[in-house]
Amino acid sequence: MAAEQGKKIHLIIERQDGPDSKPYTEEFLVPHRPAQNVVEALMEIQKNPVTKDGKKTTPVVWECNCLEKVCGACMMVINGRARQACATLVDKIPQPIRLAPARTFPVIRDLQIDRSIMFESLKRIQGWINVDGSWESREAPIQDPNKATTAYEIAHCMTCGCCLEACPNVGPQSDFIGPAPTVQAYLFNLHPFGKFDEEKRLNVLMEKGGITSCGNSQNCVEVCPKNIKLTTYLAQLNRDVNKQALRNIFNK
Amino acid sequence: MFHTTFYIRRLHSLCGIVPMGVFLLEHIFSNSEALGGPQAFNDAVARIAEIPHDIMLPIEIFGLLIPFLFHMLYGLYIVLQAKNNPARYGFSRNWQFAIQRWTALFLFVFLFVHVIDLRIFVKGGGTPITYGLLHMMFSNNLWFAFYLIGMLAAIFHFCNGMTTFCMTWGIAKGPRIQSVINWLMMLLCALMSLVTIAFMVSYRMH
Repeated sequence: MAAEQGKKIHLIIERQDGPDSKPYTEEFLVPHRPAQNVVEALMEIQKNPVTKDGKKTTPVVWECNCLEKVCGACMMVINGRARQACATLVDKIPQPIRLAPARTFPVIRDLQIDRSIMFESLKRIQGWINVDGSWESREAPIQDPNKATTAYEIAHCMTCGCCLEACPNVGPQSDFIGPAPTVQAYLFNLHPFGKFDEEKRLNVLMEKGGITSCGNSQNCVEVCPKNIKLTTYLAQLNRDVNKQALRNIFNK
Repeated sequence: MFHTTFYIRRLHSLCGIVPMGVFLLEHIFSNSEALGGPQAFNDAVARIAEIPHDIMLPIEIFGLLIPFLFHMLYGLYIVLQAKNNPARYGFSRNWQFAIQRWTALFLFVFLFVHVIDLRIFVKGGGTPITYGLLHMMFSNNLWFAFYLIGMLAAIFHFCNGMTTFCMTWGIAKGPRIQSVINWLMMLLCALMSLVTIAFMVSYRMH
């Protein structure tokens, strides 16, 4: 695939040298290729780190891995909106293309962010299943196929952080764990073994920073690259925590 | 386990409907009597005044003042938890989310001015609330605009709050029912706004 002669992509990138340094912008013109995505455009800068004005600079740092919208690593703010850089085709969005790190998370360098807070949140909601033994396949508790369909949908979550970046209630000003980890609690509550710990998960969601911090802006469901019906499951969890609250009051 | 945050949040949500939403509706019903002229409005005020003071005052303190202050102060904390971003994510629900917070901030000021002025200084000072009094007050363009914006802000905040109430309590789960409720509530918002504009204008006429 030879580069089309002359055709260039204009990128305006919000950069930052380290976690505590001041952000600045740099502009780049990189060769255009057919069906090019934002990651490929960034690779062009890596090959030739020269700004639009011809000044030599450091290559722009970003994260990516699978390049097929499965790992979630390349989430960044593209033209003001949280997206996966690998799944964003250059020809489908207006130029100049503005790239910025998702500042809901701590910035490590340039477009690279530290998303470990989401892992901490998954630990908090007990985002795993305690296996208390193993079964012969015919003796194992059966999975309701309808629930399994829902679980499969939620299991597509790749902890990319788009929903947290778009959510106005997630950020340094708030302690909300965000839509993704909250809805993961529902995934594990759906599982035949996972539901043994449902009460524990719901009680965690009732704590500060849990589901009560949701303000129903519904940005999460709009930006989710995996089309997970986040608001539906948040409403279901709201039902579940209400019932749990009644159990907490009247069962003890 | 006792989850203070959970109960405070749910109480905050409930307070917005009862008593606050109900009291807003009462205001709209009573004030729309002004459309029937000065006599009709003054009769409506007289009907409310039939409730004995010894009963009315505890209702005002425990049924209105305390829930209002709780909703307003905790609401202020909720407003500060948000970084509004409708400019970047211009979805209609996100606009509603931002407007819910902007109206909250305006209403925080409006309700203090309104209650301290009309309830504490005017009514508390012994001057009865009459059509004539409101006619004088709303003939002033600044008071008129301040109250009109205050009412419209309260109506939106209440109607949008009903929608989010249905989500927060898990009543409306799926996207279709949530969208139907949102449309119905915005329709109610338009209707209540029209009635409000009508009676506000009528105060200036007679």
